Amino acid sequence: MVLAVLQVPSFGSEEIEEARVTRSRTKFGTLVSGLVLGTCVAWSAGAAEVETIAILTPEQGTDYGWNQQGVDAAREVAEKYGLELIPAEGLGYGDVRPALREIAEDGADLMIAHASGYNTAAPEIAAETGVPVAIVDLPDDMKPGLVADYTLSGHEGSYLAGIMAARMTRTGTVGIVVSGEPPSWNSQSAGFALGVRAQDPDVKIIYAVIGPAAYGDAAGGRRVTESVIAAGADIIFGQGNGSSFGMIQAVETTKAVDGGKAWFIDVIGDKSELDQGHLLSSVVWDLVPVYSAMVEDLKADKFGTVGYKIQLADDSVRILKTDHIPAEVWDSVMAIRDDIVSGKTKVDRISDAQEVRSLMTSVESQE
Amino acid sequence: MEGLLTEVFLGSLLFGAVTAGVPLLLSGLGEQISEKAGVLNIGIEGMMLMGAYAGFAGAYYTDSFTLGFLIGGLAGVMAAAVMVVLCVLLSMNQIVVGIAITLGGEGLTALLHHFQFSRSYPRLGRPETLPVPWLSDLPIVGSAFFDRNPLVYAAVLLTVALVWVFKRTHVGLNLQAAGDKPAALDAAGVSVTLTRSLAVLSTGLLSGLGGAYLSTIGGGLFLPFMTGGAGFIAIVLAMLARGKPMWVLFGAFMFGGSLSMTTAMQVAGVNIPTDVIQMLPFAMVILVLIIFARNSYLPPALGNPYHRGAR
Repeated sequence: MVLAVLQVPSFGSEEIEEARVTRSRTKFGTLVSGLVLGTCVAWSAGAAEVETIAILTPEQGTDYGWNQQGVDAAREVAEKYGLELIPAEGLGYGDVRPALREIAEDGADLMIAHASGYNTAAPEIAAETGVPVAIVDLPDDMKPGLVADYTLSGHEGSYLAGIMAARMTRTGTVGIVVSGEPPSWNSQSAGFALGVRAQDPDVKIIYAVIGPAAYGDAAGGRRVTESVIAAGADIIFGQGNGSSFGMIQAVETTKAVDGGKAWFIDVIGDKSELDQGHLLSSVVWDLVPVYSAMVEDLKADKFGTVGYKIQLADDSVRILKTDHIPAEVWDSVMAIRDDIVSGKTKVDRISDAQEVRSLMTSVESQE
Repeated sequence: MEGLLTEVFLGSLLFGAVTAGVPLLLSGLGEQISEKAGVLNIGIEGMMLMGAYAGFAGAYYTDSFTLGFLIGGLAGVMAAAVMVVLCVLLSMNQIVVGIAITLGGEGLTALLHHFQFSRSYPRLGRPETLPVPWLSDLPIVGSAFFDRNPLVYAAVLLTVALVWVFKRTHVGLNLQAAGDKPAALDAAGVSVTLTRSLAVLSTGLLSGLGGAYLSTIGGGLFLPFMTGGAGFIAIVLAMLARGKPMWVLFGAFMFGGSLSMTTAMQVAGVNIPTDVIQMLPFAMVILVLIIFARNSYLPPALGNPYHRGAR
C-alpha cells in the first residue's frame, strides 16, 4: 500500500506541475491546487500493487476437478503477471480462519477462498486484516476493495452435455449424480436437464444426491451411481470432486440395464488421461480469465465492484471432445454452442435446488 | 415409480445397503471389544483410514483383494499398537490419544495418497465373490446377500462368534472384568494389561479390515478422508449395542439400509427436499439413541487407566 501511494504521482504530478507554473497566482489558487492534489493522492492510495496472491482449497489440487482447476489457474495467473503464489491446498471443510490469518501475515495481496464453505470465514478475515478476498457463490456479499465474488457456473456447457446425452442414450434414461447441492452444481444439473429436455423430452432424467457435502465420499458415489444405473440410466452426468472417482468406478464396473456400456460425463476438469473407456465428455472450466480479471481489477482499484463468471463465449467453459462421441453428434452439439454464443439460444441459470428437482422427469411425474 | 421397482434396481439397493453396512459392522464390533475391556477407543476413524489406505495399496499392488484385507488389517493393528503403548502401558488419556490417532491417520494417509496416487487415481476392478449355492440365485436378495466377497460372510460369522465368546468363554469373562472391575481380574491372576492390550489390538485389526473393505470394495479406490466419519458412527453403534454384538449387526445394516433408502427415495422422485431425505440415516440413529440410550450399559472402568493397587 505504501508503494502504491508513491506511484500515484503519475496522476498527481500534473497538479504539481500546474502548481509550479502558477506561483504568482493567489494564495486561494494554491490552496485549491493543494486540495485537489491531496484528494487525488488520497484517492489513488486505494489502488493496490499486487505482488502476491494466495489460493485456498479444501482438497489437494490434484483431483482433476474443482481444486485442481483453481490451483492450476492461480499458478498460471501468477506466472502471467509475475506474482508470487501462495497455494494452501487440502485445508478441509472446517474452520479456515487460522490459515487465512497466516496467509495474510505472509503478505498476500489477494486471497482466493476457493470453496463455498469458506464464504463466512474469508470476509471476516478480510475485514480483520484488510487483505482482499475472493469468495464463491455469494454475489450479494461483495464489498468494494475487500470482497469480490466469482460465481462459477458451467450451465451453458452442461446444456450441451445434456443435448449430447439425449442423443446418445440407448436406454432412454440418463442420470445426474451430485455430491451436494451448492449453486454451482445446481446450475449445471439444471443446464444438463434443460439440454436433455430440449433435445428429446421423452428421455427420462433421474437425479440423486449422494449426501450432504459428500464431496470426498468415493464409496457413496459408487453406491448411488450403481443404483442409478440399475434404475435404467446408461449415461451419468456426475458432479462430485473426489467422489467423482467413485462414480467413474461404478460406470466402469456396472453394465447398463440393456447389457451395454455405461458412460460418464464429468465436470470442471479433464480426466481423459485416467479414462478406461467410459469417459464420454466433460464440461471443462478454465478459471484463468476469472483470476486474471481479479488481479486487473485489484490493480485498477475496482476489486469488489463486479462479479466474475465463466461462459462458452470466451472458452472459459467448453465441452470436452473424446473419441467416444460420434461425429454427427459432436457437430450438432457445436452448432448449438454457436447458437448460445450468438445469443440465438438462451440457457437459463437455475441454482435453486427445488427448481432443479422440478426439472427431473422422476419428480415431475409425481406432481 | 412403478417402473423403478425392478429386480435389478431393488437388488442394487440391497447390495448397496450391505456394502455400506459392512465397514460399520467390523469397526463397531472392534469398538465393542475395546469398550468391554475398559478402553474407550476414539481413534477408530484413524485406524479405519490407515486400513483403507494400506488395504487399497495392498490390493492394488498384489492384485489380490484378500491380501489387501490382510495388509489393511495389519495397518489397523499398527495404529492400535500406538494406543496400547500410550494408553494401556503408559496410562495416558484415552480420549486425547484417540483424537491424536484419528488426526494422525488422516494426515498420514492424505500425505501418502498425495505422493503415490494423486496423479494417477488407480482403481480396482470388480471384487472377488463367493456365491452361496442356490441362495445366490434368489431374486433380489441373491446377489445382495449371497454372492459377496468372503469378508462379508466372515463379518457376519464373527458377530455370531463374538456372542458366544462374550457369553460362554473365559476370554469373554476376562474382557468383561477388565472393563467392570479390573482389580478383581488382577486378583484372579489374569493380567489386566495383557487383556486390554489384546482387546485394543483386536479393535485395530477389525477397524483396519473395515477401512480396507471401504476402499477396496466400497469405493474401489482410496481418497483422503474417505471414511467421512464412519469411525465415529461405529463408536455410536457400539455404545448403543450395550455390549451385544447382534445389536451392532442390526445397527450397521440399518444405517446402510437407510443410506440406500435415501437413494431409492430420490430415484423414485419423492418430492421433498433432498436435505430432508439425506437426514434419514442420522435421524434413524438419533431415534434409536433416544429409545435405547437410557438402558445403555457402559463398563464402570471405561476410559480409566488401571494401576495395580491404586484406590
